[in-house]
Amino acid sequence: MGRYLIRRLLQAIPVLLGATLLIYAVVFALPGDPIASMSGEKRMDPDIVGILRDQYHLNDPFIVQYWHYISGVFQGDFGRTFAGVEVSEIIASKFQVTLNLAFTALVMEAVIGVGLGLYAALRRGRAQDTLVLASTLVLISIPTLVTGFVLQLLLGVKLKQSTGIEIFPVAGVSDGLRSYLLPAFVLAGTSIAYLARLTRTNLAETLRADYIRTAVAKGLPRRRVIGRHALRNALIPLVTYLGADLGTLMGGAVITETIFNLPGIGQELFRSVYERQQPVVVGIVTLLVLVYILANLIVDLLYAVLDPRIRYE
Amino acid sequence: MRVFKGAKIIAGAALLSLGLAACGSGTSTGDAGGADQPVRMRIGEPQKLFYPSDTVESEGAEVLASIFAPLVKYDEDKKPVEFVAESIKTNDNRVWTIKIKSKFTWHNGEKLIAQNYVDAWNYAANQENAQSTNYFFARVRGYDALNPGEGKTPSTDKMSGLRALDEETFQVTLKQPFSQFLTMLGYSAFYPLPKAAFDDNGKVTEAYAKKPIGQGMFQIDKPYNKGTDQTINLTQYEGFPLDKPKFKKLQFKVYNSAETAWNDLQAGNIDIQEQLPPSAISAAKAELGDRYIDQEDASIGYLGFPLVASDVYDDPRIRRAISMAIDRKTITETVFSGTRAPADDFINPLLPGYRPGACQACVYDPEGAKKLYEEANGPRTLQLGSNMDNGHKEWIEAVANNLRSNLGVTVELDQVEKFQEILDRLEAKQYTGMFRSGWLIDYPSAENYLTPVFSTGAIKTGANYAGYSNTDFDRLLAKGDSAASLEEGLKYYQQADDLLLRDLPMIPIFYYRMNAAFSEHVRGVRINLLNQVEWASVEKVA
Repeated sequence: MGRYLIRRLLQAIPVLLGATLLIYAVVFALPGDPIASMSGEKRMDPDIVGILRDQYHLNDPFIVQYWHYISGVFQGDFGRTFAGVEVSEIIASKFQVTLNLAFTALVMEAVIGVGLGLYAALRRGRAQDTLVLASTLVLISIPTLVTGFVLQLLLGVKLKQSTGIEIFPVAGVSDGLRSYLLPAFVLAGTSIAYLARLTRTNLAETLRADYIRTAVAKGLPRRRVIGRHALRNALIPLVTYLGADLGTLMGGAVITETIFNLPGIGQELFRSVYERQQPVVVGIVTLLVLVYILANLIVDLLYAVLDPRIRYE
Repeated sequence: MRVFKGAKIIAGAALLSLGLAACGSGTSTGDAGGADQPVRMRIGEPQKLFYPSDTVESEGAEVLASIFAPLVKYDEDKKPVEFVAESIKTNDNRVWTIKIKSKFTWHNGEKLIAQNYVDAWNYAANQENAQSTNYFFARVRGYDALNPGEGKTPSTDKMSGLRALDEETFQVTLKQPFSQFLTMLGYSAFYPLPKAAFDDNGKVTEAYAKKPIGQGMFQIDKPYNKGTDQTINLTQYEGFPLDKPKFKKLQFKVYNSAETAWNDLQAGNIDIQEQLPPSAISAAKAELGDRYIDQEDASIGYLGFPLVASDVYDDPRIRRAISMAIDRKTITETVFSGTRAPADDFINPLLPGYRPGACQACVYDPEGAKKLYEEANGPRTLQLGSNMDNGHKEWIEAVANNLRSNLGVTVELDQVEKFQEILDRLEAKQYTGMFRSGWLIDYPSAENYLTPVFSTGAIKTGANYAGYSNTDFDRLLAKGDSAASLEEGLKYYQQADDLLLRDLPMIPIFYYRMNAAFSEHVRGVRINLLNQVEWASVEKVA
């Protein structure tokens, strides 16, 4: 197990390095001079542009620029934006917000999604089951943009206007966990629905397996049959889904972050690509690659926990 | 019970998440009823730290305008009137003597002196400092010595045309007479800087740019961490000698989305929002009553012709016909929901010098356009280039449809992400079609709609992207610049404008409008012609 873990972590190093080079090259290849476009649609004095390009080493060949960047990274210097702000500072603060959002969303997925699936599976074919299936289908088919604005208007604006009490803040992160509830639900919406359906199907299938019939025949209590025998087996695909989803939640939250004005990684990435801020883009994307790698690793390790037959040596 | 280990991990994560969330800044933003609650205004994220001479975008300028006070402000007739300046005198429009009021102090208690202006302007004009407002000082004598060009080092760090006469008076000598110089002085590039802003090498420090010390109505509470801070908090400066606002605290809140800010305004979490999203206009009009502001804005949107890059559009009849084929009224009403107004002059209606209906080719006339276009034997295929950000995609498509149906031509759209790409490709002659463009004035004078966009000198350094060059036009501008007064200058500028209206190197399509709203917690919100709130007139409603 220990050796397996070390091997996996060592494998991550070339992947991360490769990612930085690739992303750096992609941003480099985008058209539009970052300095000249800083003044919006007005043309900056060409001499001033030249002087600034020199200051930021933008006149060097690609590989020299990349070397400047990556050698800085190894010394713990992640570079500065064109506005002179430390990239590490920006990422640290934005990552915090995204982490809060993603984990709140993940918890919602796990609790609501699995809960609904469990509920539906145990009442298969009945009205409650149909209701869960229908409502999750609706949730899947509405885009985040719509759920985001509709819920913000109804639960944020209208609820406060009619009651005078603020339950769900409209935007921002100044109200602690409360700020994240609505955006996390919007972000997790589709996944909740998928997860509910996945749980329902898996559990329903497992419940028909021979070993479950044996367990019931042995006279085990229903709670133990479902909780210990059926659910545990049905959890494996769910854990896979949740693990892969963590990366999506962190990197793909641009729309949700914008609607609810959460200063997170998604928005920052969007803006940085637009402004051609290479160090920021590379920093964020590399971090996301790292999150994917770690999430996958944790998922693999969880397999061993859930299924004793799986062993890593 | 191993299955529940997973549950524990998840629960742990949830706790972690809660803990992290609780670490966020703790200020609650409830109702603004309390006396200590600030007046809250939406801004977008400032592009840079607060270097006054390096701020050319509206968000940073809005914050700076609350921290600094300008030499002149503009009155109801859009004429400059002294504010920090006691008097501004000139005999020949070339040598300007500026005396400042004696009672102004910096937020650190030091007295505001004439040398503060001299220091700040020399700093801004020096190419070594690469300040984006550098070009504002190009009319001052001695500017060239500070700007020998890339790769060369300036021989001095002072402009010869700028000197302090005594503690309260300084003198600016221009290269050429410029009748509009007074109107420039209200802009943020001309703010002074205190001694404390500079380090030993004469550079403005980063610490200063994070927590600027100004001489305006408000002082900033703590250093601004760009990229991290979502609010900028300010407190009224007790030592401000002129009309003070009737509230103590001001807060700027950063929102990237105008739609979100509008929702938060309705929920009572912000008090003032400039630039409402088009989707909010009808609701704002219907529900807010006099808390909705719809006024003129100084920006113009154009369609430009590549006069340098191509000879397809050389016949002015083609340009005129294209202009006549565009239904400006319908586009501004439907595509923009009234957040734009149809353009009918190169000078914006906000400013003296505008003549309604001056642009006869801006009148929608599909039949006349088609006839003229065929007479001039216009090209059968037109290219139309635009950037798609900032809501430009939709109106460009509407224009393309107008041209297709009214002129019977094929229109190829060439859409790129950013305007800079169009410029780069025009310059390299890789793109030779029509293109969208726009202009926001730097200072409120009719002259600023002409010189930087259409003069021959602006081809290389300004916004003359069409490449229009007309010696008669340049001569009229020079006459206006050296005229004895603002009013007399205006006559020449209007004559220059007439030449543009005849030649149409670009065609004006629309004027922007300022659509703003404010909450019921404040009253007396007025927005000036630089699109900045006049804080002195704002009051909180208990």
